[in-house]
Amino acid sequence: MNDAALAAPAAAATPVSPAIKLATRDLNFYYKGFHALKNINLDIAEKHVTAIIGPSGCGKSTLLRIFNRIYAIYPKLEARGQVLLDGENILDPKYPLNRLRSKVGMVFQKPVPFPMSIYDNVAYGIGHHEKLSRHALDERVEQALRQAAIWDEVKDKLKQSALSLSGGQQQRLCIARAIALRPEVILLDEPTSALDPIATGKIEQLLAELKRDFTIVIVTHNMQQAARCSDYTAFMYMGDLIEVGDTETIFTRPSQTQTEDYITGRFG
Amino acid sequence: MNLYTRRRIRNVLALVISGATTVFALFWLFWILWTTFSYGVSALSPSLFTQMTPPPGDEGGLLNALVGSAMMSLLAIAIGTPLGVAAGTFLAEYAQHRPIGSIIRFVNDILLSAPSIVLGLFVYTLVVAQMGHFSALAGAIALSFIALPVIVRTTDEMLRLVPSAMREAALSLGVPQWKVTVQVLYRAAMPGIVTGVLLALARISGETAPLLFTALNNQYWSTDLLAPIANLPVVIFQYAMSPYPEWNAMAWAGAFILTLFVLLLSISARAILLRKKMTHE
Amino acid sequence: MPASAPSASPASAVDMEQHARRDARADRLFSILAAAAGWFVLITLTGAALSMLWGGREAFATFGWSFFVSEEWDPVNKQFGALVPIYGTIVTALIALIIAVPVSFGIALFLTEVAPEWMRGPIGSAVELLAGIPSIIYGMWGLFVLVPIMGEHVFPWLNDNLGEWPWIGALFQGPPLGIGMLTAGIVLAIMIIPFISAVTRDVFLTVPTRLKESAYALGSTTWEVVWDIVLPYTRSAVIGGIFLGLGRALGETMAVTFVLGNSHRLTPSLLEPGNSIAATIANEFSEADSEIYLSSLMALGFVLFVVTFIVLVIAKLMLLRVQRQGGR
Repeated sequence: MNDAALAAPAAAATPVSPAIKLATRDLNFYYKGFHALKNINLDIAEKHVTAIIGPSGCGKSTLLRIFNRIYAIYPKLEARGQVLLDGENILDPKYPLNRLRSKVGMVFQKPVPFPMSIYDNVAYGIGHHEKLSRHALDERVEQALRQAAIWDEVKDKLKQSALSLSGGQQQRLCIARAIALRPEVILLDEPTSALDPIATGKIEQLLAELKRDFTIVIVTHNMQQAARCSDYTAFMYMGDLIEVGDTETIFTRPSQTQTEDYITGRFG
Repeated sequence: MNLYTRRRIRNVLALVISGATTVFALFWLFWILWTTFSYGVSALSPSLFTQMTPPPGDEGGLLNALVGSAMMSLLAIAIGTPLGVAAGTFLAEYAQHRPIGSIIRFVNDILLSAPSIVLGLFVYTLVVAQMGHFSALAGAIALSFIALPVIVRTTDEMLRLVPSAMREAALSLGVPQWKVTVQVLYRAAMPGIVTGVLLALARISGETAPLLFTALNNQYWSTDLLAPIANLPVVIFQYAMSPYPEWNAMAWAGAFILTLFVLLLSISARAILLRKKMTHE
Repeated sequence: MPASAPSASPASAVDMEQHARRDARADRLFSILAAAAGWFVLITLTGAALSMLWGGREAFATFGWSFFVSEEWDPVNKQFGALVPIYGTIVTALIALIIAVPVSFGIALFLTEVAPEWMRGPIGSAVELLAGIPSIIYGMWGLFVLVPIMGEHVFPWLNDNLGEWPWIGALFQGPPLGIGMLTAGIVLAIMIIPFISAVTRDVFLTVPTRLKESAYALGSTTWEVVWDIVLPYTRSAVIGGIFLGLGRALGETMAVTFVLGNSHRLTPSLLEPGNSIAATIANEFSEADSEIYLSSLMALGFVLFVVTFIVLVIAKLMLLRVQRQGGR
């Protein structure tokens, strides 16, 4: 089970097991009747990067999208079980959605800046949740853009349309937009698959810095990216969580044959 | 003659004929436009814009007709745009996967191609018969029914073109659905929605039949919404069918103005869409 | 920078809840308004149908089924029959289709297979421009330009050369006035060409290139690819486009009113004045001086509505079917 993997004595990882920020308990997910996720029990460590990898259709994006309940806007999708954020079950209908979304931010595969200025993009979410003075808002926007490592590139053109940025810059803007709400968890769904290698590199660097302040869960179909960036890796296959553990162990001494087959490229 | 030659001849023949049909269609287009232009321009004069529609034989202009048409068209757009955008939003955002969405879309497309005379009769029964007299208001309502399906369809299509990731990104910031729609989605789809409104305006500017049963016509200056009002299409109709040459000439002038207006609107609408396509790719 | 912890301070948790409730209420209101607008579209169509049925009830009640087959149109004696307008509507629409369908097909073929790339956009736009011209302009052009030509040259030629033939000769006998069902059919044809050709062209463009390429690779000529591959693949949608054009032709008022003649005599000749449902209603609505007169016109409107509704539904179903088949 994964508790054991987290506390694996063989790896030279952390001597003390980190706090659990997000955890699923017997999570099952049905997509129009199809059993898409089967009994997922996964712990996400606080202020670390956890990567979820697996072949196409294994359910990794589906799992990610449960963590902020964004799946709920589509019909015929049902989640059963529990997802605990700081111990509270976010799947409980009584758990307020706007509180969840202010604690859990999301960045998508395709950079989708809003059709507004760069400043307005970042300020958009803040403006809805909090009433801030102009000065305070400016500070928050700058802070978010700095944390997303894009402040220097845009500080002179904050009023320009966000669409004038390059793909990589737009994605960092989307990260800034999500960070601006000061969430505790950031979910990233294949954030670099639409970007060139240089832009990808910049974002991977960014993740290393962001994990000091945020818990990060990243879904990626690029194994090497998971190996480069994450502290923990979870391998999924056909809706099942096959194995999870610290990244080094998963990639060098996986305990499940399916994991090993995937890692070594026997199937994609 | 062997099979191969026969096939080649058939091919060339078909291709030549297809070119000929295109020339055929364009020929009519240019002939109609040329006729409108030449007859219309020769009857243009400043008095068209300063004087009212005259009795037969007298000098006059089209001022009351132009103003009346402008009033009714603007009112029709004012009524039809919020309704159309709201209905389009319903189809794209709320009823996307539900059967009611397909039904309304289907009905809307029927309404789009339905004969406008039918809608005119409908408004006659609904408004004119109730009020007891013809009115500019009834005319505007009839025109709004014609503009509505155009705006519904464009809004629906343009909203559906917005990538779902944008919706999800805004929602995952904790912003409620209605704000996402109004502040993000409408902004993203705005060029398309504006195009729809322009196309609707172009369409209703040329409509005559429904006005025959609703706004009728008025020889004099009137801006009263509750009375019959002069309007360009009906005046053109009346003047063209009449035996008086001065009236015929004015009909052509009016036709020219109308065609120019509609063509300019269509070209602007197209230009907006083209600009949007270019800045996003 | 430490993240804020809303769960720690009870005040902000309550704030969030209030905020959430307010958002939920606004969401509900917005969705209700949107739904109401959506339903309004449905109500409009049903209302239009019902209102004409209601308006025509007196005529239907008085004349019964004979309304559809009687050619009487006597406002003085209050006897009305729809045969002449219905006949004229159908005949003019048929003439329009006979002319417009091959022409539209040719245009679509030209724009998708023959014309060089740089030509396709401008010419396609030019043809679409035809659709944007208001129908009253078509009517005026028809009356002032086409009618004299028809009257001075075409009608007499047809009369002299085809008028004596057995059977179809009766179609071409008439005074050289220039107005009549043939002229109206021609004007309608020009009007519906852009609609049918636009749909046909769009549909031709959806044929997978690979399908066409494999045919070319086997040595087919362009014409054979279109006739044997493209057309069968898009058959339903092309028929849908034709029905769309038909629907337009049936309901067209102004283009036809100018050149049809407004006569209530039933005649097989295409060169004689005739009538259509829309033209009858447009011409005589203001003259209707009795309840039964008005009701008969409303009844005509209802007939037109039903016929165009059926045609348009068939068109839509045909077009939808291809969408599903093509897996788009």
